[in-house]
Amino acid sequence: MHEYSLAQALLEGLLAHLREHPAPGSIAAVHVRQGELLVLSTEALREAWRILTEGTVVAGSDLVVERVPAKVRCPGCGYLGPVRYLAEEGWHFAVPVLACPRCGGRAEVVEGRDLAIVGLSVDDATPPRPGVAA
Amino acid sequence: MHDTLGFGDVLKRQFELAERNYELLKDRGIRAINVMGAIGSGKTLLIIRMAERLKAKGLKVGAIAGDVAGDDDYQRFKAAGLPAMSINTGDDCHLDAHRVGHALTDFPLSGVNVLFIENVGNLVCPADFPLGTEGDLVVISVTEGDDMVRKHPKIFAQTDVVAVNKIDLAEIVGVDPQKLVADYRRLNPHGRAVLTDAKSGRGVEELLAALGL
Ligand SMILES: Nc1nc2c(ncn2[C@@H]2O[C@H](COP(=O)(O)OP(=O)(O)OP(=O)(O)O)[C@@H](O)[C@H]2O)c(=O)[nH]1
Ligand SMILES: [Zn+2]
Ligand SMILES: [Zn+2]
Ligand SMILES: [Zn+2]
Repeated sequence: MHEYSLAQALLEGLLAHLREHPAPGSIAAVHVRQGELLVLSTEALREAWRILTEGTVVAGSDLVVERVPAKVRCPGCGYLGPVRYLAEEGWHFAVPVLACPRCGGRAEVVEGRDLAIVGLSVDDATPPRPGVAA
Repeated sequence: MHDTLGFGDVLKRQFELAERNYELLKDRGIRAINVMGAIGSGKTLLIIRMAERLKAKGLKVGAIAGDVAGDDDYQRFKAAGLPAMSINTGDDCHLDAHRVGHALTDFPLSGVNVLFIENVGNLVCPADFPLGTEGDLVVISVTEGDDMVRKHPKIFAQTDVVAVNKIDLAEIVGVDPQKLVADYRRLNPHGRAVLTDAKSGRGVEELLAALGL
């Protein structure tokens, strides 16, 4: 339910970037990585993006969201890597278990909680959209 | 063309602010617990029960009540004799480290040993917003049904102490609390689930032990 404020934060970061480094064409897509541990609706995030970008230089851009799997580090055995998932019947989706998949020890999350813009698809053939970059 | 950017992370600021709260609390020797959970599951009453026991051990306990609106929980903490404060989140469905940071500046922290921060009743978003507390607790109750853990797996996978409250009503509503405990164990093999009845105080001592208090 906080997709709106997070979309706003992404947009502010992007517009600040574009003020410094204007794109040579119109921005067709904005690529985002979303950690799978976030309880965030990708659909709602894309909808918020569509509304919030209106009137800006990134209006009409597609928010392309890539889900990043969780990764843990185990202080006990040194394991660093992906987690185990509960996917049996009765669970509503494959649920990450944050314990160490190797020794079962308590593990620390090192990836899977981030939300960041990682790239832009710029259409060089079309001029940048007019609009506030602010 | 595909530019590669690294905008950092829009949630990173939240983690930095949480870290700041953590340091502030640590410097003052205050042990804080983020109390999350379903609406009406018994967060406020459980906090009051835990506070009674901690006070009997000579500790000073404070409480911050996070609510979308209103100051009912704040009034209840006050009535229970706790130094308390209310944070209204407006339309936000969760507390965040920024709001809690301001509250920590205003709160009369002097002498406080344990601080309970009651999050907004919600099993969805609070999981994404660390507050900088040393401990996290999720409170659910049997009256919400026996599938609460399955419906909100992420918050349970990430929280190490869970109270299954209102067990006095388990039979009446026909819910086996052990089913909730079993689901939780599978999601979080290290977690500790404690059965509580905040009305009578049953299980509260065990819950304090699970929280290390
Ligand atoms: N029978 C029974 N009632 C309980 C128990 N714990 C809480 N209650 C009652 O359940 C109601 C809700 O309890 P609260 O402590 O206000 O719950 P909460 O989670 O703080 O509620 P919100 O802050 O509104 O989300 C109150 O009427 C409590 O008296 C319990 O263990 N058994
Ligand atoms: Zn939220
Ligand atoms: Zn291990
Ligand atoms: Zn409450």
